[in-house]
Amino acid sequence: MSQDNGVHAETGATSANNANNASSASGTTGATGATTDASLASRAKNPKKHGPKWWLISLIAVIVACAVVIGVTVAYGKKSDSADASAKNMIADTVTIGLKLAPTNLDIRNTAGSALDQVLIGNVYEGIVARDSKNQVAPGLASSWEESKDGLTYTFHLNKNMSFSNGDKLDAEDVAWSINELIAKQYHDADALTAVSKVEAKNADTVVMTLKTPNSNLLWTLTGRAGLVFDKDAKYDLKTQAVGSGPYTVAKFVENDSITLKANDKYWGKNKAKTPTVVVKYLADDNAAVNALKSGDVQVLAPITETLAGPFKSDSANYTVKAGNGTDKYVLGFNNASGSKLADKRIRQAIRYAINHKEIIASRGGADKALGGPIPSLDPGYEDLTKLYPYDQAKAKSLMAEAGYSTDKPLELSLTYANIYGTELGDQLRSQLKPIGIDLKVNVVEFSTWLQDVYTNHDFDISLVDHNESHDFYSWADPTYYFGYDNADVQKLYNEGVAATTDKERDAKFAEAAKLISEDAPADWLFNYRITTVTAKGVKGFPFDLNQTVLPLYNVTYSLAEFSQK
Amino acid sequence: MSNSHNNRAAITRRAYAAVALRTMWRRAEGKFALIVLALWLAVALVSLVWTPQSLWTTDGYHVWAKPSAAHWLGTDGTGADVFSWLMAGSRTNLLIVLLTVVVSALWGLLLIAAMVARNSALASTSVVVIDALISIPTVLIALILAVPMGASIAVIVIACGFGYGLNLARVARPAALLAARSAYVESALANGASGWRVLVSHIIPNNLPVLAVQLSLSAGTAVLAESGLTYLGIGVPSGVPSWGHSLATSVKLINVFPLTVLWPGLIVTVVVVALNVFGDVLRDAIDPVANPALRQTAGSAGKEDER
Amino acid sequence: MRFVIRRLLLFVVALFGISVVVFAALRILPGDVASIMAGINAPASRVAQLREQLGLNRPLTTQYFDWMGALVTGDFGTSILTGRSVTALIGTRAAITFPLIILGLLIAMAIGLPLGCTAVLARSPRVRAAFHVLAIIGGSVPALWGGLLLILLFGKGVGLVGILPSQGFPLDGWGKPGSAIVSLILPALTVGIIVGASLMRYTRSALGELAGSGYIDMARSCGMTRTQAVLNVGLRLAMPQLVSVIGLTFASMITGVMVIENLFALPGIGNGLVTDVGNRDLIAVQSELFLLAAFFLAIGLIVDVLHRVLDPRLKNGGNVAEVNA
Repeated sequence: MSQDNGVHAETGATSANNANNASSASGTTGATGATTDASLASRAKNPKKHGPKWWLISLIAVIVACAVVIGVTVAYGKKSDSADASAKNMIADTVTIGLKLAPTNLDIRNTAGSALDQVLIGNVYEGIVARDSKNQVAPGLASSWEESKDGLTYTFHLNKNMSFSNGDKLDAEDVAWSINELIAKQYHDADALTAVSKVEAKNADTVVMTLKTPNSNLLWTLTGRAGLVFDKDAKYDLKTQAVGSGPYTVAKFVENDSITLKANDKYWGKNKAKTPTVVVKYLADDNAAVNALKSGDVQVLAPITETLAGPFKSDSANYTVKAGNGTDKYVLGFNNASGSKLADKRIRQAIRYAINHKEIIASRGGADKALGGPIPSLDPGYEDLTKLYPYDQAKAKSLMAEAGYSTDKPLELSLTYANIYGTELGDQLRSQLKPIGIDLKVNVVEFSTWLQDVYTNHDFDISLVDHNESHDFYSWADPTYYFGYDNADVQKLYNEGVAATTDKERDAKFAEAAKLISEDAPADWLFNYRITTVTAKGVKGFPFDLNQTVLPLYNVTYSLAEFSQK
Repeated sequence: MSNSHNNRAAITRRAYAAVALRTMWRRAEGKFALIVLALWLAVALVSLVWTPQSLWTTDGYHVWAKPSAAHWLGTDGTGADVFSWLMAGSRTNLLIVLLTVVVSALWGLLLIAAMVARNSALASTSVVVIDALISIPTVLIALILAVPMGASIAVIVIACGFGYGLNLARVARPAALLAARSAYVESALANGASGWRVLVSHIIPNNLPVLAVQLSLSAGTAVLAESGLTYLGIGVPSGVPSWGHSLATSVKLINVFPLTVLWPGLIVTVVVVALNVFGDVLRDAIDPVANPALRQTAGSAGKEDER
Repeated sequence: MRFVIRRLLLFVVALFGISVVVFAALRILPGDVASIMAGINAPASRVAQLREQLGLNRPLTTQYFDWMGALVTGDFGTSILTGRSVTALIGTRAAITFPLIILGLLIAMAIGLPLGCTAVLARSPRVRAAFHVLAIIGGSVPALWGGLLLILLFGKGVGLVGILPSQGFPLDGWGKPGSAIVSLILPALTVGIIVGASLMRYTRSALGELAGSGYIDMARSCGMTRTQAVLNVGLRLAMPQLVSVIGLTFASMITGVMVIENLFALPGIGNGLVTDVGNRDLIAVQSELFLLAAFFLAIGLIVDVLHRVLDPRLKNGGNVAEVNA
């Protein structure tokens, strides 16, 4: 845009010049003529001595500046080389990790977004229970727990001698206070604990949680924000600081840019940080991210698009490229509310038949997995439902014909989605739906506009969003959710699944409900997005699965020796 | 009677245009500018009815393909034909440029009219307001506009039209003021001509060279602005082909496919050069002082008028 | 003096107008910071609660006057989302944008002024034509594309001669001045070449106009060579105009470099503004926009005043037109 300046500047000056002419049109020349003469005369006699040649000086200054800059470049380049050399055969004391989606603040109690979960949970804050890379519940601050037969009482036994990074003791009081506070103040995710009636500290290392109704999701819920434990005596600004009990502390936070984590020297447990400093750098721009990895500014990049990962794949001597499993569902949600153009099931089905999922996945590099229903493979109740609506353009056409539409008389629909997902998906969907008689108008908007129009006001035909949360199956049992999907059978099955006291029973109920939903076609699931991660040779212990929500960093190390053997 | 007068004026105008065009064509850079602009117009028109491949054909199995017989410049991230999108982009850019030029011309003339108004309060206020507003950059205006409007062609047109109109008014001001104070205008006013009539028949024609140059510069800048604003996500919306769109989508993968970024940028550069050169040669061609051929036409037309 | 006072008055009135426009425009925006904070699976009650907590439900007039009241005392407010003061936010971003602009402008001057002078002094019409073509092409390259070409030439890892870091700003910021400056070279070069081309065109036309004027003839008749006359007298006479150009260029570059910041992933003022608008952090956005607009108006004011001060002909009521003609 700086060309603008050209014109701005030029006109500004031109007019200034003209203004001189105009405004001085009535003036006289005598005085200036004389002074100019005098100055010219003196200048002519002594052109070198008189007056600074400002253009020459500025030119020299610029050349000097450039020289300095280039000098610094060279010096800097050498410096980093020598640093590499001296550090050979050593485990680096800093690992820099490149991620994409940056948190705007550290307030994990109030601000939504998986970016915060990803960097803080398990690293800085710890929960009463933890989550492993298979999305299963694992011991956290509580080393063990029991559940009563009726599923209404949970007793947690905490580890002993735990402390926060500020030195304060962590005991059952802190645990009970944290969860009670969450419910009382309705912090983020409080709605997941509506079944909880009270949380009490029985003694210093036992916490008892009482429920109003059984909830088979409770333990998993507590692995997330709902189960995090804060220091009830510490006072600090949650937006810019974090005091937790995890292996790392936040040494520096620059919003939308980076977080520097330092090993917590008061850490109580066995997940001790192996690398003293981990810097998390947020690289929103894909090219900048790739360059940062190539130049060694970051040692890990997650996520990277499959296409951009290509060159790293072919350089397997120096990089490891791997796609990990996750719970990201790219949901093409239809507006199911009565009165919507998509209230007609035939049209919804036609859309599902008309979408060529394989082709879309191929265009994205082929790492993603086809997904036929609302539950991804890492969540309870998953089964492969991709056979329900195979790609079948003829069937789609006949369904559209039944509904009264064809290429000559197309149905106009709009697709609204946030600009973070790129324009390609919209273009592809428009092109795939065109032959069956749907004229898709694609609105790519800001995320906040999507939240307002689609999520809050339900003003849309088709929406596309990455529902990355795990265990979010409840949205299909909630008719007020933006899809407006209201199916009594599904709601009944879902509630039975939640009330189930065994995992097996829960999984069966959820699976049955998921199949019903998929058959009903209230949405199309484009694919289960799998995160591609690249690590430089020498990086060990970086998790590949689920790393956009659960990213334990204590195990990560980087040995320079391996990378420099190019 | 008035009809024949109009006819004669039309003939004169056509003669003027022909002479100006011929003068421009005689210069090498003029030839270059005219050819590029004509080509642009032609491609834009052709793209309305025909592109080598349909714009809406995507092919997920052949994304980012290299140039081939079927896809002359390869394919983009959805497997669509890059050449077809660039062709179709030319019409969007042409539309944006034309609209911007019209908006800025109207807005600029309105400001000029205010500045040469006989109401001195209006005149001096407008002068100062222009001086103040001109320092606010187009991008900032576009950014504010895009807040309620979202990405759209209108954002580009209004933001650019607004900014360039101010430039136009400021550049044309001295000459317009001189013309407004000329004896010719004074006598026209004394004879009862309305202020608007004076503006249209005397002040604008007197400023034509300046206006023409400024407008063609604005046209070039509008093309550049389109690519920048679209890249920032506040210009041409998704799904509408434009050069900025092609440039912005290819930027994402320069690490893997550096060559795809070459074409849209090259086209924009060539077209903007052509528009700038066009402005330069146009000024020389329609300025009676610089172009003797024009003086001759004017002379013969004048004689015709006397008859 | 009366001119300055009039401009100052207008400056204040314009600022007030801008504050109203900016405030109103931002309230039309769909979505708000509360729903962004609450996220995608939050119940409506949670959004309402946050809205109340953040004071977004207060009447608009109250919000406006609270904001204005604080502004008058120099308090630009606190960003809702990051919890940092807007002054601090702008400070961090300006620490990238301003060095970039200054570096870019220096490069532009290093390119534009000498080449512009040479273009006037060159005797061969071919050389002059070559300079003309150079200036036009330089001014016609889209910033985005120019930057990309430079990356493809010099960017580490991508470029043909990969010697410079292509995108991103170092982690330590100005903690390591060396790497910080190095990361600004390519973006500054992009800015510099494009602005330099227009500066060259401008210098050429300003000097060229003066070269044929009576001043130069007079200087030559006093014994100067043509080169001396143009550089010593012509450049000095052209200086007020050039200062205007450079001043206005500087101002519009602050947002003008937005594309460059974006392409090179530099967290500067322009990039920050886009992020804040996206997050609907309205308190931050309105103060940022207001400050930017105030800055542009102030530069415009300073340039106009400076132009009068620098140009002795204007001060003494002299007449250029007659000498030129």
